[in-house]
Amino acid sequence: MKKIIQFLILIVIVNTVSGCKKDEDPVTIPPVPTNETEIMTTFKLIFTDSAGFAPTVTAEYRDPDGDGGNPAVQFDTIKLLANKTYFANAFILDETKNPVDTISNEVMEEANDHLFFYTTSGFSATVAIVDFDTHNPPLPVGLQTKWKTMGIGNGTVQVVLRHQPNIKDGMFAPGETDIDLVFSYLVQ
Amino acid sequence: MKKIICLFAAFIAAAITANAQCASVLRGKVIDHHDRQPLEFAEIYIKELKKGALTDSSGNYQITGICDGNYTVKFTHLGCEDIITSVLVDGNTVQNFYPEHHLHELGLVDVVVKQEPEKTTVSSYRMKERELEETRGKSLGEALKNITGVSVMQTGSSISKPVIHGLHSNRILILNNGIRQEGQQWGSEHAPEIDPFIANNLTVIKGASSVRYGSDAIAGVILVEPDKLRDSAGIGGALNLVGLSNGRTGIVSGMLEQNFKKLPALSWRLQGTLKKGGTIATPQYYLKNTGMEENNFSAAAGWKKNKYGVEVFYSQFNTTISIMSASHIGNVTDLLNAIKRTEPLEKGEFSYEIERPYQHIEHELFKAKAYLFTGNAGKLSLVYARQYNLRYEYDKHRPLGDSLAGINKPELQFEITSHSADLLWEHNAIKQFTGTIGISGMQQGNTYEGRYFIPNYRNYTGGVYWIERWTKNKLQLEGGLRYDYRHLQVFKYENNVIVSPVYAYQNSSGTVGAIYKFNNHLSSTVNIGSAWRAPGVNELYSDGIHHGAATFEIGDKNLKPEKAVNYIASILYNNQKKWNIELSGYHTTITDFIYLQAQLPPTVTIHGSFPTLKYKQVNATFTGLDAQVNYYIIPQLMITGKASVIRAFNKTMNDYLVQIPPDKFQAELTYNFKSYKKIKNSYISINAVFANKQFRVPENSDYVMPPDSYTLLNFEAGTTIHIKKQPLTIGLGGTNILNTVYRDYMNRFRYYADEMGRNITLRIKMPINS
Repeated sequence: MKKIIQFLILIVIVNTVSGCKKDEDPVTIPPVPTNETEIMTTFKLIFTDSAGFAPTVTAEYRDPDGDGGNPAVQFDTIKLLANKTYFANAFILDETKNPVDTISNEVMEEANDHLFFYTTSGFSATVAIVDFDTHNPPLPVGLQTKWKTMGIGNGTVQVVLRHQPNIKDGMFAPGETDIDLVFSYLVQ
Repeated sequence: MKKIICLFAAFIAAAITANAQCASVLRGKVIDHHDRQPLEFAEIYIKELKKGALTDSSGNYQITGICDGNYTVKFTHLGCEDIITSVLVDGNTVQNFYPEHHLHELGLVDVVVKQEPEKTTVSSYRMKERELEETRGKSLGEALKNITGVSVMQTGSSISKPVIHGLHSNRILILNNGIRQEGQQWGSEHAPEIDPFIANNLTVIKGASSVRYGSDAIAGVILVEPDKLRDSAGIGGALNLVGLSNGRTGIVSGMLEQNFKKLPALSWRLQGTLKKGGTIATPQYYLKNTGMEENNFSAAAGWKKNKYGVEVFYSQFNTTISIMSASHIGNVTDLLNAIKRTEPLEKGEFSYEIERPYQHIEHELFKAKAYLFTGNAGKLSLVYARQYNLRYEYDKHRPLGDSLAGINKPELQFEITSHSADLLWEHNAIKQFTGTIGISGMQQGNTYEGRYFIPNYRNYTGGVYWIERWTKNKLQLEGGLRYDYRHLQVFKYENNVIVSPVYAYQNSSGTVGAIYKFNNHLSSTVNIGSAWRAPGVNELYSDGIHHGAATFEIGDKNLKPEKAVNYIASILYNNQKKWNIELSGYHTTITDFIYLQAQLPPTVTIHGSFPTLKYKQVNATFTGLDAQVNYYIIPQLMITGKASVIRAFNKTMNDYLVQIPPDKFQAELTYNFKSYKKIKNSYISINAVFANKQFRVPENSDYVMPPDSYTLLNFEAGTTIHIKKQPLTIGLGGTNILNTVYRDYMNRFRYYADEMGRNITLRIKMPINS
């Protein structure tokens, strides 16, 4: 009987003491906002003329403090020359980190779990994906694309990055959306 | 703080000197342990007072004019062995006797002392023993949903929280063992962190109850109470085994308690629960990643003397709940695509594995209570409690970088620690008045790590209240006043500088009510109560995407407190052999009701665009009716009907409010079998639930129309078998036995998947007594 009482008292003491340790919350010192989680702040497309004549074009969406807070500071129109073929490289950045974290490198490493979709409206440009992952047969990725412009005109291009871990099959449906931006383009 | 307590103590001491009368009442019911029939002509006798009473034809007895204190009470009845037990009379006390009414089976006597739930003039419902048994294995939210006026808000099948009269979360107070539960109550996916097996009493108080229980009790209060510690010498306990077919869930819960013969003041109790469940199935497919596990324990010890007593209690609740894979979406387009599909894309097979996304939640409660009988004048209690709540949320995907992915840290982490102290003095009858004076205070700190959702904060609250009750003959009047103060300081980074704005809120609330007993069968109650709630930190400071809901939610630092006035009136008719009717109507007006209002334009982010919702304040009204009718067709066969109807309006915008439970009707038929040899308390019941479609929603407030109405068929059956002297209670239940495919308006995952299919439950309970 005594042992039971002793045991009981012990439980109460141990729990009280161990519980109290957690009390020292540093409530007054919030974590610095540059936390360890990754934030996509910037999506950038860099276009180079396949023939090497036209100047390099950059189009960006930038929201340097991430979602919420301040709105995006930059959302460019893609301005390309008529009747050209461009190669475009896509970059995803986390600008809340110092140095800036290039998230697209990690997307490239996990190419088998990611898939871009480029959907154009208007009749002045077409986009084709030119990079592939290591699936058998290989499936497109979309960090590298080929853009063909035709006559002068304008329209929009919707860029969607789908995250499809272990379920990528080349289709849109599986997984969820990591990026979804509608750029305007102008062919001049 | 110390000074205030000292002052208060002095005040109480002064009040005690007032001359008091002894007007407590000891009453109760004597029921045969086996066939549950009331026993007439049983004698209940208080030795110390040489006072006694006989039970009437319904087994009821009543002894009036007793001073509070500890007494030896003797029960005698022809054909039963005498029961001598010690009873603590403390206000209106109920002492029921459940004697073994057979001479040849002596020794098996089951004495149950139950404190009568505080009679309030608002509507309240205490779950009956059988009802409570039938909910074993379910979460707290699920357990309460059959009570009229109560519904449940779900996030998938494993997270459910109670809704009273259309309101939930931080508009409801949960009192866990007398302590106001402090946790992360701001989100719909934050279920109460309580092991329902702790509770032997579950009571729902419907209506504003701020005066007695503090701010935030706008819609009501849920009381989760363990039985009192054992006060008769010996060891007792119970073992519960529950198995559920859907999710192939298994639960073991055990309780052991003791009171010492040589040291009758000392009692202790240990209790623990283990639960493990796997993937939930709808009638047509599995809901991938819906497993969960839970392990909880509690320990209590008490030292009880005639004049004073001390109790300590400690409990721990730990759970890991996986979140259905299909509910994780990137943006509105994903959500609309998910809605278009009739079945989720990710289904999978049965598994016990918990994968990302999931939550891990821990809650600790330590409580110490001391009470002292202040002579004949009353009872003084001091309660201290410490609560610690930890919440980890894991996103669906590990971070992309290998170094981060390796650590497997939660993307979101909160810790809330609360300390509270309550001092209260309940005074015995002075003339016709009884009442309670109390003071309470709390200090709370919240910290977070990982993704920003709500900031760190420190919170101090204090309140004083006084409730008096006046009883004469058939009339009882009740009135009370309370004053609360809340100090909130937030700590967060704004443009790389720590800012720490301070908010102070204060408010008074009041209550008046009456109970009138027309006769033994018919009584009526009315109550007008006010309540208030300071805006929550999430309502002040949210700023980001709410994943799963695909909305962008923005807080408002300038929100004012919500103030509610609640009118409630009930009629109770009780003719135990035939009719049992309870009707209550209510009307609540809430000024500056805080809710999420859709804004234009949508918020554009790199992940796509999201509908923008801002926390706004409007004036709202909630009006409704709860009804329950029991009718005994023959003594063995009872039919029950229940209805919960509510109408909620946004007065400012002249529109409906969102997320209001649709009308719900239930019909139940129960047959109680007569005892047969060693098989007792056998019954079978069949129940149909109809939930209407919610037609009353504001236009364009949601991605889809509310789901259609549905009807579910459920059944319950139970019996108690005595194997030698060991009783064994077995229960078998089934929900959605027709495997109906349906979706529920109050489930946030209604966009993605159907509700749970058929679920058969087997429960075994083995009480231990020696």
